[in-house]
Amino acid sequence: MKLFTKLTLFITLSKLALVLIFLLSLPFLVERIASEFTNNYLRQQQQKVMEVIGKNGVGFYLQDEESYGSYTLLKEEYIALELTSDRLEIDTIENTERIVESDTLNYRVLIHTFTDQGNRYLLEIGKTTSTISQYNRPLQRIASVVLIALIIITLVADLVFTRFLLKPLGRIISSKLLNRKFPFRDNIPPVQTTTSDFKYLDHSLITLMDQIHDTFEKEREFTANASHELMTPISILQHKIENLIDDAALNPEFQHRMTEMQRTLNRLKKIVRSLLLISRIENDQFIRTESWSVRKLVEAVMDEIGHRMEEHQISLKLQLGDETVLHHINRDLIFQLLYNLINNAIKYNKENGIIRVSEVKKVNHPYQLCIEDTGIGISEEDLPLIFNRFRKATDTGKSGYGLGLSIVKSIADYHHIALSVKSKLGEKSRFTLTFSNETVKC
Amino acid sequence: MKVLLVEDEKMLAYEVNAFLKKAFYICDLAHTGKKALEMLDINVYDFILLDLGLPDIDGLALLTQAKKLNPDAAYIILTARGNIEDRIKGLDLGADDYLAKPFSLPELQSRMQAIGRRKFNIRNESIALGDFAIDLQNRTVQHGTSLIELTRKQFDLLSYMLLHKNRVLTRTQLSEHIWGSYSDDDCDSNYIDVHIKNIRKKLNAYASVCWLETIRGVGYKISKQL
Repeated sequence: MKLFTKLTLFITLSKLALVLIFLLSLPFLVERIASEFTNNYLRQQQQKVMEVIGKNGVGFYLQDEESYGSYTLLKEEYIALELTSDRLEIDTIENTERIVESDTLNYRVLIHTFTDQGNRYLLEIGKTTSTISQYNRPLQRIASVVLIALIIITLVADLVFTRFLLKPLGRIISSKLLNRKFPFRDNIPPVQTTTSDFKYLDHSLITLMDQIHDTFEKEREFTANASHELMTPISILQHKIENLIDDAALNPEFQHRMTEMQRTLNRLKKIVRSLLLISRIENDQFIRTESWSVRKLVEAVMDEIGHRMEEHQISLKLQLGDETVLHHINRDLIFQLLYNLINNAIKYNKENGIIRVSEVKKVNHPYQLCIEDTGIGISEEDLPLIFNRFRKATDTGKSGYGLGLSIVKSIADYHHIALSVKSKLGEKSRFTLTFSNETVKC
Repeated sequence: MKVLLVEDEKMLAYEVNAFLKKAFYICDLAHTGKKALEMLDINVYDFILLDLGLPDIDGLALLTQAKKLNPDAAYIILTARGNIEDRIKGLDLGADDYLAKPFSLPELQSRMQAIGRRKFNIRNESIALGDFAIDLQNRTVQHGTSLIELTRKQFDLLSYMLLHKNRVLTRTQLSEHIWGSYSDDDCDSNYIDVHIKNIRKKLNAYASVCWLETIRGVGYKISKQL
């Protein structure tokens, strides 16, 4: 999941939880506030009454009677004062029922006892509970609406800001990672951001890729230098031998031995060339921009080595359509790949054998090219080794320096071609090339 | 034909020089880029064989300068670095051919001949070989009025040997010419024998091919009186 999606989810969920908690606790909170407010109100009323009593004496209210009561028209509040014989000190606020003019009503009542001129008095101030809670509902509604509005505003603000904040990260990913290809030759400018973490990430990525690129360039230079260092002495030797062979003064025996030297040197040359070729392929020194028809490529190979099949009475079964085209390839490398495979199919075939070059072309199935021979086959224990450099199948008895198939493997890897082999010793071998969708669209 | 060989490896230059002299080229040597430019300033050459890995001047830069001094010469790049980019750049800069070291000396000569034919518009009449007439331009072999069919490879072999007449060519040299860098190991030398056998068979039907000699243990040679 993308970071932005995760953050969006988290922010939304946490805000929803907040709203839920608040809405659930709102009735309780409002009630608490209303009750506190009422208590305060009752105390204030008490204070006012006590002030009047302090100023004017209890008589102001009692007027020589035992008790005094006063209530508002709708019985929402009342004040009662009476003489009491109870000696207990009482000063409480509680919810209780009172009967006022034959109506039983719930009141929040402040009960207070006090002594005035030697007499004990009991003061009660009450307020109906229904008036206390009358504002609860509208209050709750307003609070909920305001809260939800605020939440929505902050949510939008959070998301917009998060998006803005994460934008450099997206740019770093797309410019530095997604759209770049090994060996990162192009210089991409740093992403503009004020977030130091992103700056650090971007900078690290640039440094890392520059390092990879440098190493790659060094490797490339090394290959070129190694090529020069190895090929120059071989060159000198080759030319000396060539001039010597031509020297008419040489006797035939000498000339024959020089020829053998030349052959050996040629072998060395081929090995060095093959190794350098593999190294260059692995070092990405070939462009892959050409498009060629499979059939044309196979025919070009046949043009080069077809005569070898005739020599051994090997027949070719070409089961290819005309229209399959390979894209994004290096023509010379793919030619070399097919050349090596077909050359092997000839070299390790039997007299009167068959070579079958066929294709698998189906919708929704990667394109496959098979090269099959009726040759000596490869034993099971040799199968995993055949693509290793310098590993020669043990019992072929034929020459080969074990680099042909290594080159095949390198070229296949370079073109994202999957390579598989099936073989039955003494009967047949089958090499299957499975192309990526980028190379062949089915 | 006058050739300037620009090559810093003295031993290599010596061998190429010896070979070209034998093939009747007049060859000057330059071991540095500076020396090469000096010589190009005084002399006019038909061929300039240029090693790219010189100690003092970058080979491709030298090629550009040399082309100004000697625009009509044929340029062949010789290099052991084997960079694909070098090859493309060299040809872009106007080199006529490119040979990766190590190359075979007869191969160098045949490339020079091919460029010479193209560049200096030399049209040789068909060459007489025994009772046969060989036309290199049209790639045909004739006996009297009858045309003899040779495969592409067979004709390549025959014309390569004809170019190097009176000179033994080994199977290695021949297979390298025919298959280039694709030629592999010892196997190919056998195929050379097969090709020669087939050429002989085809031509023998018309007349003797005693001029095509087998040199035991070495290779083949076309002997021809000049």
